[in-house]
Amino acid sequence: MSSTLADLVRAPVDPGILDEHAKREVRRAILTAVCVPGYQVPFGSREMPVARGWGSGGLQITLAIVGVDDIVKVIDQGDDEGVNAVNLRRLVTNTTGAVETTEVDEATVIQTRHRIPEDPLSADQTLVLQVPVPEPLRGVERNMAALAQMHAEADYARMWVSLYEDKVRNGVITKSTGYPCLVGGRYVIATTPIPRWDIPRLHQAPFLSLFGAGRERKIYAIPPDTDVEPLTFDDVPFEVERTPGASCSLCQATEAYLVEIPPSSIGAADGRWICSDTAWCRRRRSEDNQS
Amino acid sequence: MGYAAARGGLEAIAAAEDLVRDARDLAGSPWLELDQLIDRQRLAVDRVMGEGGLWDPLLAARALQQAEGDTIEASHLLRSYRATMPRFAYSHAVDMDNAQVLRRIVPAFRNPPGPQLLGRTTDYTGRLLDRTDDDVARERAEKRASESVLLGTRESDTDELQQRIPVATSRDTPTLGGLGDRRHRRLLDVLRDMDLLVDRRRSDDPEPVDITRSATRPPAPRSAVLATMARAETGALVNLWYRNILGPDGYIHEVTLGEVRHAEVPVTVTHPHTGGPIDIGVVRVTEVEAIEDLDGADEERTRFDVGYGLCFGHNEKKAIAMANLDIACHRDRRGTGDEAGDGAGASELEQSILMTTDGLDASGFLEHLKLPHYVTFRSMIDRKMAMRSAANADDLGKRATDAPVSVDPREGDCA
Repeated sequence: MSSTLADLVRAPVDPGILDEHAKREVRRAILTAVCVPGYQVPFGSREMPVARGWGSGGLQITLAIVGVDDIVKVIDQGDDEGVNAVNLRRLVTNTTGAVETTEVDEATVIQTRHRIPEDPLSADQTLVLQVPVPEPLRGVERNMAALAQMHAEADYARMWVSLYEDKVRNGVITKSTGYPCLVGGRYVIATTPIPRWDIPRLHQAPFLSLFGAGRERKIYAIPPDTDVEPLTFDDVPFEVERTPGASCSLCQATEAYLVEIPPSSIGAADGRWICSDTAWCRRRRSEDNQS
Repeated sequence: MGYAAARGGLEAIAAAEDLVRDARDLAGSPWLELDQLIDRQRLAVDRVMGEGGLWDPLLAARALQQAEGDTIEASHLLRSYRATMPRFAYSHAVDMDNAQVLRRIVPAFRNPPGPQLLGRTTDYTGRLLDRTDDDVARERAEKRASESVLLGTRESDTDELQQRIPVATSRDTPTLGGLGDRRHRRLLDVLRDMDLLVDRRRSDDPEPVDITRSATRPPAPRSAVLATMARAETGALVNLWYRNILGPDGYIHEVTLGEVRHAEVPVTVTHPHTGGPIDIGVVRVTEVEAIEDLDGADEERTRFDVGYGLCFGHNEKKAIAMANLDIACHRDRRGTGDEAGDGAGASELEQSILMTTDGLDASGFLEHLKLPHYVTFRSMIDRKMAMRSAANADDLGKRATDAPVSVDPREGDCA
C-alpha cells in the first residue's frame, strides 16, 4: 500500500507554520469581522512558533492574508529593529515568500505591536495589530457570559460609569493605552494597546485594520471609512499624549509619538525624547540632510 | 542609545539561539538520547504529550530534549508542530471498557470487582533520596536485568527505537505478554447496579467540541470542559483543585475515588477506502472516576454523582484533579438554570477551568511581560502627570474662589 492518508485527501503539502485549512479558517473569521465592524469574532486560534502573548494572533492573520506578491513591514513599539519585530518578520518572510521592508509606503501589510506608523496609510494597505487583551469591558465585568451579553445588547452603561468615576476621582480620565472606542456606532473595542496618540488615525481611516488576539482566540476589524470614536463625555475632550516642550532629539519632531530616555542619574540633565516610529524619524533626518 | 535591551535585531537573536544550543548540545556529558528520555523520564514525556495534545513519545522526547526539560516549552513545541499539519480524520470514540489495564486501584472498596493492581507506582515508596554511588547503582541494575523475569517477558527487541512506538494491537490481544486479558468491569457499573448513582447519561450523544478548532468560552458543553482539562497544564489543574479546597474563593468536596487506571487503548479511524474501522495505534491514558457525595437541598441526596478524568499518558495527579473539577463544575452550575450541563448556563468554576488552566496561554502571557512596553509606559506616565496637573489646577481654583468646598474623603487618597 503506497498511498497515505495525506495522499488520499489531497491535502496540500505546506512547509509553512500554519496549514492551509487554518489559513482558510482565519480568512473566514476576518471576513466576518469586516462585515461586523468591532465585533470580536471567535476563531480556532492555532499554536504558533511564538509564545501566546507575543503576537500569535497578529501572526496568524498576517500568514493568512499574505502571498508572494506582498511586502511586509513588522514593527514593535514603532521600531522595525525591535527583537520581537525581527523575529516575527523572519517567520513571515521565511515561510511565505513575502518580501520585507521597513518603509511604510512600500508595505502592503504592516504588522504592529502597540503603534500605528506616523505616516498616513492608504486604501491598498492593511494594518495588522497584535492584541494581548481584546475585551474592553473586562475592567468592569469579569464573567465572560455576562460580557458576551453586554456586547450583544450594546449595553455599555457600566463602561460609561467607570469613565465618569475615573474623571471624578482623578480629575482626568486615566486610561492610558488601548483606549476604548465605539466602532461604527455599535461595538466598543479595545484598541490593542496603542497610545491615545494613534486613536484619531483609526477614525474614517482609508485602510483596513485587523486585530488578532491569538491567546484569547478573537479577531476583530475596523474596515475603511468607519467611525471610530473614543469614549468620552461632551465636556471632557479626548486627550492624546503630549509633553510641553518635548521634541525628538534626533529629528526635532514635536508632532509625533515620542518616548522618553530618562536621565542617567538623579538630577542629571541628559533626559531626552525620541520618536517611537524609527523609520519615520530616520526618513525625516535624511530628508533634512538633502534639503 | 537607550533601550538597548529592546533592540539588537537578527544578530542578537541568532547569538542567543547559539548560546542555548551550544550550552545544551556541547556539554561535556554524553549526548542525551531520545530513548533515555522515553525510558527513564517517562512521566515527563507523558506529561508533554498530554499538555501538547499529541501522542508521539519520540516527538515528545525530542521536544523535551530541545526545551532543556521545560515541560511547558516542550508542549509548546509539540503544539506548534501540530499546527503546521492538516487534520484528516477524527478517531472513533474510545470505549474505555476495552482498555488494557496496566495499573488499577479502587479506593472506594476493599474488594471491588476486578483486581487492585498496584502496578508501576511510587505511591508507597519511601521518599528517600537514594545516594548509592552511581557506578554501584548501575552494576546492581545490570545484575537485576540478567535475573529479571519481567523484562524477559517484554516485547523482544528494545534496542530498536522503532519498537518503542506502540504498534496496533487487536483489541482481543492482550499487550502484556502472558499476563492475560486486562479488561475489567468498572466501579461505576457496580454502583449503578446498587442503584447508588444519579443517572446523567444522555441519549442524544452530541458530537464532542473540538477545542483545537473553536474558541471555547463559557457557557460551554461538558465535552469542551473535559477536553480543556485533558490538555491543561498539570500544575494549573492541581492548583485549581487545591485552591477550591483551601483557597478563599470556592469550595469543592473531596471526592472518593472509584477508579484510578493507567491503561492502553486502541485508536480507531474509518479507513478512507474501505470505510471500515481500522486500528492505527495504541495510546496510554490515565482514567479516573470520582464519586461525589451529594448534599445540596436540590440534589438527589440518596445517591452519588460521579466526575470523570482522562488524559494522555501516566499522569494520575492530573486525572484526579480533572475528575474532581468535572463534578464540581457540574454542581457549580446549579442555580444558573442549567443543571443538565448542556451549556445554557455558566459557572465561575467553568470559566476558571476553560480560561486559566492552559499552560501555553498562561506562561506565554506571563512571559510577554518581558517584551518592551515603552510605548505604553510613556502613556502611563503621561496620565500620572495629567492627574497632577488636574489636582494642582483644582487647588488653585479652590483658593481663588475661597468658597467652602465639600470634600469627598476618598479624594484625599488620590491626590
